[in-house]
Amino acid sequence: TRHRTRRCNIVVCQKTTMSNLFSPPLYKQRHQFVIEFVKRFAPRKVLDVGCADCRLLTTLKVHRHGVELLAGVDIDCAAIQRRKHALAPLSSDYLVPGDRPLTIELYHGSVMEKEPCTKGFDLVTCIELIEHLDPGDVEKFSDGVFGYMVPHAVIISTPNAEFNPVLPGLTGFRHKDHKFEWTRAQFSTWALGICWKYGYSVEFTGVGEAQDRDVGFCSQIAVFQRDTELNAPVNNTYLVPQVYRLVCVVYPSLQDNKVFHRTLVSEVLYSAESLRRRWREERDGARSDLTSDICGSGSAEGQGVYRCGRSVRVPLLDVWASPRVQALCVDVQHLREALLAGSWVQLDTDGGAIVLPDEDEENEEEEQEEECGREFLHRREKTIMLFATT
Amino acid sequence: MPPVGFSKGPAATPTSTHVPASGLVPVHPQGVTAAFGDTKMTPASCQTRAELKMEAVREPLKKVGTKGSLVTVGSNYIPVLCRNEAVYQYHVTFTPNVESLGMRFGMMREHCSTTGEVVAFDGSILYLPKRLDEVVHLKVQRRTDNQEISIKVQMTKVLPPYSDLCIPFYNVVFRRVMKILGLKLVGRNHYDPKSAIVLGKHRLQVWPGYSTCIKHTDGGLYLVVDVSHKVLRNDSVLDAMNLIYQQSREGFQDECTKEFVGAIVITRYNNRTYRVDDIEWTKSPKDTFTMADGSETTFTEYYRKNYGITIKELDQPMLVHRPKERSTPGQKVITGEILLVPELSFMTGIPEKMRKDFRAMKDLTIHINVSAEQHTLSIKQLLHNISTNQEALAELGRWGLETSSQILVTQGRTLPMETVCLQSASFVTPSSVDWSREVVRDSSISCIPLYCWAIFYPRRAAEHAKELVTTFGKVAGPMGLRLDRPIHVELRDDRTETYVKSIHSHLTSEPNVQLVVCILTGNRDDLYSAIKKLCCVHAPCPSQAVNVRTISHPHKLRSIAQKILLQINCKLGGELWTVSVPLKHLMVIGVDVHHDTSKKSRSVMGFVASLNSLLTRWYSRVTFQMPNEEIINGFRVCLLAALQKYYEVNHSFPEKIVIYRDGVSDGQLKTVELYEIPQILKCFETFPDYEPKLTFIVVQKRINTTLYSYFENRFGAPVPGTVLDHTVTNKDWVDFYLMAHSIRQGCGFPTHYISIYNTANLTPDHLQRLTFKMCHLYWNWPGTIRVPAPCKYAHKLAFLSGQYLHSEPAVQLADKLHFL
Repeated sequence: TRHRTRRCNIVVCQKTTMSNLFSPPLYKQRHQFVIEFVKRFAPRKVLDVGCADCRLLTTLKVHRHGVELLAGVDIDCAAIQRRKHALAPLSSDYLVPGDRPLTIELYHGSVMEKEPCTKGFDLVTCIELIEHLDPGDVEKFSDGVFGYMVPHAVIISTPNAEFNPVLPGLTGFRHKDHKFEWTRAQFSTWALGICWKYGYSVEFTGVGEAQDRDVGFCSQIAVFQRDTELNAPVNNTYLVPQVYRLVCVVYPSLQDNKVFHRTLVSEVLYSAESLRRRWREERDGARSDLTSDICGSGSAEGQGVYRCGRSVRVPLLDVWASPRVQALCVDVQHLREALLAGSWVQLDTDGGAIVLPDEDEENEEEEQEEECGREFLHRREKTIMLFATT
Repeated sequence: MPPVGFSKGPAATPTSTHVPASGLVPVHPQGVTAAFGDTKMTPASCQTRAELKMEAVREPLKKVGTKGSLVTVGSNYIPVLCRNEAVYQYHVTFTPNVESLGMRFGMMREHCSTTGEVVAFDGSILYLPKRLDEVVHLKVQRRTDNQEISIKVQMTKVLPPYSDLCIPFYNVVFRRVMKILGLKLVGRNHYDPKSAIVLGKHRLQVWPGYSTCIKHTDGGLYLVVDVSHKVLRNDSVLDAMNLIYQQSREGFQDECTKEFVGAIVITRYNNRTYRVDDIEWTKSPKDTFTMADGSETTFTEYYRKNYGITIKELDQPMLVHRPKERSTPGQKVITGEILLVPELSFMTGIPEKMRKDFRAMKDLTIHINVSAEQHTLSIKQLLHNISTNQEALAELGRWGLETSSQILVTQGRTLPMETVCLQSASFVTPSSVDWSREVVRDSSISCIPLYCWAIFYPRRAAEHAKELVTTFGKVAGPMGLRLDRPIHVELRDDRTETYVKSIHSHLTSEPNVQLVVCILTGNRDDLYSAIKKLCCVHAPCPSQAVNVRTISHPHKLRSIAQKILLQINCKLGGELWTVSVPLKHLMVIGVDVHHDTSKKSRSVMGFVASLNSLLTRWYSRVTFQMPNEEIINGFRVCLLAALQKYYEVNHSFPEKIVIYRDGVSDGQLKTVELYEIPQILKCFETFPDYEPKLTFIVVQKRINTTLYSYFENRFGAPVPGTVLDHTVTNKDWVDFYLMAHSIRQGCGFPTHYISIYNTANLTPDHLQRLTFKMCHLYWNWPGTIRVPAPCKYAHKLAFLSGQYLHSEPAVQLADKLHFL
């Protein structure tokens, strides 16, 4: 079946014939339309059918508004392979993991085939796709999307044939791969048929307006919605695709236990370390008053850092006061449980404070190696300047 | 499948493998027969065959030495096998001409049924792994105006698959493989964020990773893999700025400039890294800028719209990045400044404050300094990952490439140990190449008696100063040093001004002062700089700065005092030790260039030349040069002065001159050979009838070649003096890798020496042994170092002059190692 989507090529042709007509370019307006929809209805799972070069997915990844699963399917495997690295997490996503999970799945397959993985989506988008289908296949496509996938909402956009006279120098279809281009009436006839058959309601709109001519929008859009509740709980068990081939990218997120723990430990240790440093500086400032610095003088929570035996204790309550830690844990109890779950941070017996080794104990060792401290900077420049100059 | 666009992006390797522009590609004899064995038989296109044979087979250079004992070594080179018999080069012409590169790519892509899916195309030259007809004519319709364009694809060359011309796109292939393996590109190397080591205490992450590049060496085609680590910070630049602001409000802007200018940041919204060149304090995210389409928008609006990011802090300055001007054919010239938002930029690299914190650095270096064994394990892991990933294998297979699963193991040599000579004592260096005990036990070659010297210290360090002087008195005798009592100068505080005024008045009132010793409290760069400026430039006098911390431990004071005395002796013109060099009438020169990190100021070239046959007296000069200025201008001045000085001392000119030049990349070797060396030779014409023999050796220490010892199937650190002069060496030059220093931790990185010019006819053995001997002569370290001593001296001198003095040191000091 020849129904490759060639959105990238359409962009090229728009650049040349329509660039003066629309600003921002029409494809961006279509994407913006989808983003606005996502913003308003907050779907969790979105599938882009005919994702081609994944431009829409890339845009949605940035403006996610709570989307947790982004999927795309296209028949052009090369296009997916080409673009899949652009959808991979950025380096910074590992430095500041997102609050919510995000998984991006790309499938290689045809819309004509029925794939169980495509069921249960909140939103399915088919942007400038159907005009690439053979007219005979449209019904099969409709049945696949509305009858089989049964998403909560569907956004379908397609060229409006009535608008073509406005486009300068255009003869025939807008793209050589287009099999048909519908008028507004044809589009709505088809759409209303869908509603009747599959139980959806539809609204018509579009992007790209003509100045003072009643030809409708350049791209006409139909938004279908079912009456069911959006984001209805569906079983989240992972399905292995049966017909499609999967390429999958998972973003680091705080929902992932490992990532959360790593981030939390990092923040907690940093916070505890700075509290201890401040405590030490204050203590060193009042060195003369050394006698008061004994164990047990302030073991209650929230009373600041204290020494106990050979270690320094930083109360959890003080650590939790750091806004960065608070952003990760709702209360101290939550923090304590999270820290106890791992072995990275040592807590005292009643779980009220973090135990840090006392630096004074380590001093001796530090001094011994300090001489070559400077040379540590250059990994390959090991020990050239052991002599004692500054 | 996508074509390999090797003209885009920095496809060049970290060491920027030099690709000769000329069409002549030297190939191995056996490779030629393998590649063309069957194609020669077809009579149809004999003429092109004849041309192909022009690819001359060059005699391999004689670079293998014999001295020393054989030893099995490993290196981080992975053999790459080429399964294809050839790579075909075509010239592509578009009629009428098509200017846009993007359009040219698109048009070629439309004909992928002809060219195949595997394509490397730079807009006019096309490489394919498959053979097309001699000339192929294609037609395509230009989308913009429906004009019919005819494309002529003409075969120009049949290349052996390991040709240098293929290396750029092989590198692209390997970068793609790294991506397939899930590694992230940061800067030029690939890292694995999933194996990140989180250093919570410092809000740092260390990402392990690799740098890879393809090299065509004497031994064939290799993938060079180095293990690399990236330090990333969880802090944004804005966080770091806030921290600085909390600590010091008045010097806030200066502190920020110090901390951030020159730093590399990674932006939150894309995977790009930028160097911060400046901070724009008058701008904020509320300001507007002009977009590519001419419309104006604010930064906040831009990031909200394009990246869905809301900037929280509206009153923050902007970071400025000034990209290097570059224009690749058909692409836009990038000029002007790029402004970055601190809130959206993450710092990379080790924070300045942390560098000074010894303990924090220890936390870090545990992870970064990997031993030879861990190094090889990481490399093997990568090879394993490649060989078990079908997609990666397929990607390599497209060009017929295949990586071996083994790390290169070959035969190296360990050079004989040298004999170090003091005044009367001499000893063969121990296998640890460390003679710190011997140098304080016996007298140095020559000692300058110290009759008149002054020690300056603030009141709070008075005790320490007195202790130090007493200890000096105790240890000086055995070292053969005569030391009179100093002039004690106690300063009322430790302000920079107090030091400078006091030193200055003493130096003017007492012109016989031989040495100034200063006790400093804390690590204070400004004070150090002021003292050095005074003592090296304005009132020339050797000076020694001592940090009070280093002398505050009574039980270590003795050994510290010994070391300081040795250093003082060098600064006064004394000589510590030497090794015997049989070459007579020899001058050894070391050259190194120091670049300022903030790039604003000039580069500094340090120049150090030997004056006597023992190689114990050195003449040093520096010259400053503007960016883009040829180094050779300053070099000539220094060389002439050094030759004159040599004549003064020896009443003759040196017959042989060996120059060790540091800081030349592979790509600049030809330039050095063609421009610098003729000018050096011209220099000699200044003196009548003077034609010395010259050997010019380039020293490269920032290379990604490692050496391992290999014994009983285990990789370890090689012993000092290990040399490797074949297989991994550059096929265009006489070169070798030498590991002169001993490795205490981490992995063995040898130094690469390339002989660019050699009329002294030093054999490979001579070159290697002379170089190893020179690595013994750095008096600030009683052991071998990784570069020849004159290079290290030149480096120290250039660093001091560029970083602290900002001008040339006084000529009176030129014949002393005052900069140690």
